[in-house]
Amino acid sequence: MYYRESGYYKTDYKSDMSLYPLPISRFAAFSLLVLFFLAAPVVMNEYYLTLLSLVAIATVGALGLNILLGYAGQLSIGHAAFMSVGAYTAANLATKFDLPFLITLPAGGLMAAAIGIVVGVPSLRIKGVYLAIATLAAQFIIEWIINHSPEISGGAQASIEVPRPTLLGEKLESPVELYYFLLIVAVIAVIATQNLIRSRIGRAFVAIRDQDIAAEIIGISVFKYKLYAFAISSFYAGVTGVLYTYYLGIASYEQFQLGVSIDYLAMVIIGGLGSILGSVFGAFFISLLPIAIRLFMESVGSIFVEPDVLAQSISQLRQILFGVLIIVFLIVEPDGLNRLWINIRNYFRVWPFSH
Amino acid sequence: MKFFTALGAAALAAGALATQASAKDVTIGLMCDRTGPTSVTGTALCPGYHDYVNLYNTQKKIGECKIVAHEIDHEYKVPAAVEAYQTYKSENAVLISPYGTPMVYALVQKMAEDKLPGTSAGFGTALAGNGEAYPYMFPIAASYYSQAAAAVKFAKDKLGGSLKGKKIAYIYYDNPAGTEGIPVLEKLQPKEGYELRTFAVPAPGVEMGPQILDITRRYRADFVISHLFGRAPSVSLKEFKRAGFPLDKIVGFVWAGSEGDIKAAGGNEFAAGYNTMQFAGVGQDYPVIQQIKAMYKAEGKPDPDAMQYTVYYNRGVFQAAVHIAAIENAIKAKGSCDVTGEQVRDGFYQIKDFTLGGLLPPLQITKKDHEGGGWVRIFQVTKDGYKPVTDWYRDYRPEISNLLIEEIEKAKKK
Amino acid sequence: MSGNMAFAIELFGQGVANGLMYSLVALGFVLIYKATDAINFAQGEFVMIAGIVISALASAAYEFPLWLALFAGLIFMVVFNIALERVVLRPLIGRPIVAIIMATIGLAFILRGIGPMVFGAAPRGLKLPIEDFPIIIGPFFFTPIQLLGAGISIIFLVIFGWFFLKTRKGIAMRAVADSHQVSGAMGINVERYFALAWVMAGIVAMLGGVLWGSASGVDTQLALVGLKVFPVVILGGLDSIIGVIVGGIIIGVAEALAAGFIDPYVGGGTKDFTPYVLMIIMLMIRPYGLLGRKLIERI
Repeated sequence: MYYRESGYYKTDYKSDMSLYPLPISRFAAFSLLVLFFLAAPVVMNEYYLTLLSLVAIATVGALGLNILLGYAGQLSIGHAAFMSVGAYTAANLATKFDLPFLITLPAGGLMAAAIGIVVGVPSLRIKGVYLAIATLAAQFIIEWIINHSPEISGGAQASIEVPRPTLLGEKLESPVELYYFLLIVAVIAVIATQNLIRSRIGRAFVAIRDQDIAAEIIGISVFKYKLYAFAISSFYAGVTGVLYTYYLGIASYEQFQLGVSIDYLAMVIIGGLGSILGSVFGAFFISLLPIAIRLFMESVGSIFVEPDVLAQSISQLRQILFGVLIIVFLIVEPDGLNRLWINIRNYFRVWPFSH
Repeated sequence: MKFFTALGAAALAAGALATQASAKDVTIGLMCDRTGPTSVTGTALCPGYHDYVNLYNTQKKIGECKIVAHEIDHEYKVPAAVEAYQTYKSENAVLISPYGTPMVYALVQKMAEDKLPGTSAGFGTALAGNGEAYPYMFPIAASYYSQAAAAVKFAKDKLGGSLKGKKIAYIYYDNPAGTEGIPVLEKLQPKEGYELRTFAVPAPGVEMGPQILDITRRYRADFVISHLFGRAPSVSLKEFKRAGFPLDKIVGFVWAGSEGDIKAAGGNEFAAGYNTMQFAGVGQDYPVIQQIKAMYKAEGKPDPDAMQYTVYYNRGVFQAAVHIAAIENAIKAKGSCDVTGEQVRDGFYQIKDFTLGGLLPPLQITKKDHEGGGWVRIFQVTKDGYKPVTDWYRDYRPEISNLLIEEIEKAKKK
Repeated sequence: MSGNMAFAIELFGQGVANGLMYSLVALGFVLIYKATDAINFAQGEFVMIAGIVISALASAAYEFPLWLALFAGLIFMVVFNIALERVVLRPLIGRPIVAIIMATIGLAFILRGIGPMVFGAAPRGLKLPIEDFPIIIGPFFFTPIQLLGAGISIIFLVIFGWFFLKTRKGIAMRAVADSHQVSGAMGINVERYFALAWVMAGIVAMLGGVLWGSASGVDTQLALVGLKVFPVVILGGLDSIIGVIVGGIIIGVAEALAAGFIDPYVGGGTKDFTPYVLMIIMLMIRPYGLLGRKLIERI
């Protein structure tokens, strides 16, 4: 009824290649921007803005991992380690040289990308599970190096306090300001990814994912593009780390341990591999799930169990439910939340005349 | 996928329900880790906290104010802790109890901006005891610096009053918190004349045969100072015992000597002799613990399981007691229940002669010293529990304060 | 120097004994990979849940005698793994490796939640009827649990090695791993062999839970032993049982020597770091491990 694709004719190359070719998708993108930029800060209180801010950060990281895993097909269990590289790079630059975030943000990303290339080198020889384990090793080795180099980690407790980001001499301090800062970066990340995927590089990624030997035969330099994938993905991860650092005001290696890598894996898998919208869905879902479960248990759970037992069981149930959801999605809906969304959309596309 | 829709709807409904609070409520934001890497602590500490809050509410509400401790489990994850903090803020909490070093760091700036006081007993660097640098964070317990100094003093007493020529081994968990004892031990070395070697135990610390072998067979230490976390303390006890090292020549820092560690090592019989350092009293011989027991009895319930783990349970009681004492001072000063974070912070400075019959050390919190004096007490593991072998004590205060000044200078230069 | 030499020999003995106990945990991983091509990231959690069940049953709360607790633990692991294979892993057959890895990670979350929920989160000891005292054999220095662990590891490694090489079922299992479709066409009941592989992994995990639980105490942290599996299997080869022994011993010795001789110079613990460095080196020069099979890919 409302979602119509027919009747729009592309008469020149420009419109054929535009990022949002249909009026409906232009409208959707525009209204989402209005919603998040204008409506959200007005209607939402500080608490919900905090949630959205955390989701915005997670979105950037999830996009990065989705480029590597969903598009290029390279499994990485060391995503969080690249975040810590970005975080410490930015923290050191910001505290030692007083650089603004406009420099530290890309610098953190580039440093992570450089390390990402190093970690990606073995991907020439190994793939699948071997690569997964190699990235797991990278996670531990990067953690260890940061932890044992006071020059990087700032000595005491391996953490560096970072001043709030400043823009044009203005300190971004209030939740709304920080929210805008994070949202803008997240939007840039989404649009950049959309463009990347449509480019030569993006198509090469997909070819490698689907059949790397075949890709090589048709003339794609597999090694080069695998390294690109690692570099780009790590760049996103580095930026995510920088965002966490500025948002929390601290870089600390304990924020970026193995569990975080696994959370991000869960995001892209539950969200939908090889889907940009899926990354956003996944970031929302994994960030908000524990909160939803807690609220649910706090109110509904008290009917069934004693309050003193409840506090303990909330935590454990949440963990169990998290595991169950991952498995259920893998079995029932392997394409993740993005697939659910497409199903809903397709239903309404022909609604109410579904036959 | 109806299940997810239902879950979402229920969660929203729950959110609406959860925000009812009465004007007499004074909310404390209590963060816990019951499922993350330090769940062993959280599962005993947080029940202790709640029990004291309940006891307080049933016994002596002042001015009809009711203390509400809202617990959120953040699984030792920083974003979850930030979310929890915002929840507390939206509930107008007057005091935050963060849990875990990275979370303390992530929140300390925000808490100062929002003027919300909090405590970090057993976390963070020694530097945080400096009330001028961190006006809203109160470690309230001995820092690792104070613990290291107290350990040296204990070793000296144990080895006959002098450490000249004695060999001390420092075995530590290989993370920033673990290394924090080293500068103190190095600083005191020339004065006391002992030999020092350090042994790192990297995460996860489930196996440390080589290090223990080194301490006992190559270095042949006279005394061991152990600063381990998590699974590592119990493993170290087993390995020391197997290597034939006398356990009464070991003293463990505050995270290395709970009942859980002793049980996992093989029970009290096995670990008897091991010395543990504590910043809150251990055991159940305190009036407040007996009152909590009586409270459970009156409700016709058995004692909670967590209560047996007195090291962490009592720390929960300790934290709750200090928090409530500060809030109580603030309420008294203001004369009504709706106190602010700033007033509660001032309440911390007025805590005096408050030891709950020996469960707490004689804390003196001043504007300068948020550590409260750096008191510890050594409890030795016996066949059926713990026995105190020292009174609350501290030592080498001038050296520590010099070291703190040096370290703060160093941090500034960076 | 001679003092150092003697110490190095002692460390070597320790390393071999510990390495064999790592091998036992890694064996579960290899069994599953060999037979089903699945990567089990929850092997550490298997060890943990077995340890929790057995130590809880043997504790004051249930007062099972040790042999009964061990037996109950064994039954539990077998039933649990059969159910697991049926419910979680069978629907994922033929799916990309990342799906299976993620499913086992999800499983790890579930196990870490269920164990403490049912039996309590507090740590427990697991007391085997052996004493704790140093045993000195020649220049070597052992503890009783190490000798027991090493012994049990060797016995089971030999049994499973024999099973795969010599028995009809073992050969069928290798065929299944090679190609699900071809072995199915040859009349092998593929799904039954998958279940069998998971059961064997469960049995091994139960042994690992007893030994590691007894060595270091039992709570959810016991699962961290699982992180040692990866260096061991990469070094030895993902699908080689002899490789597991070799890899385990190399890792055990390397980390013992690193702790004894590298730590004092770098001012930090290199013990858990060294295995991963070794593993990376191995991945660069011989990704399929010392004794693993090299995979040849075709389009």
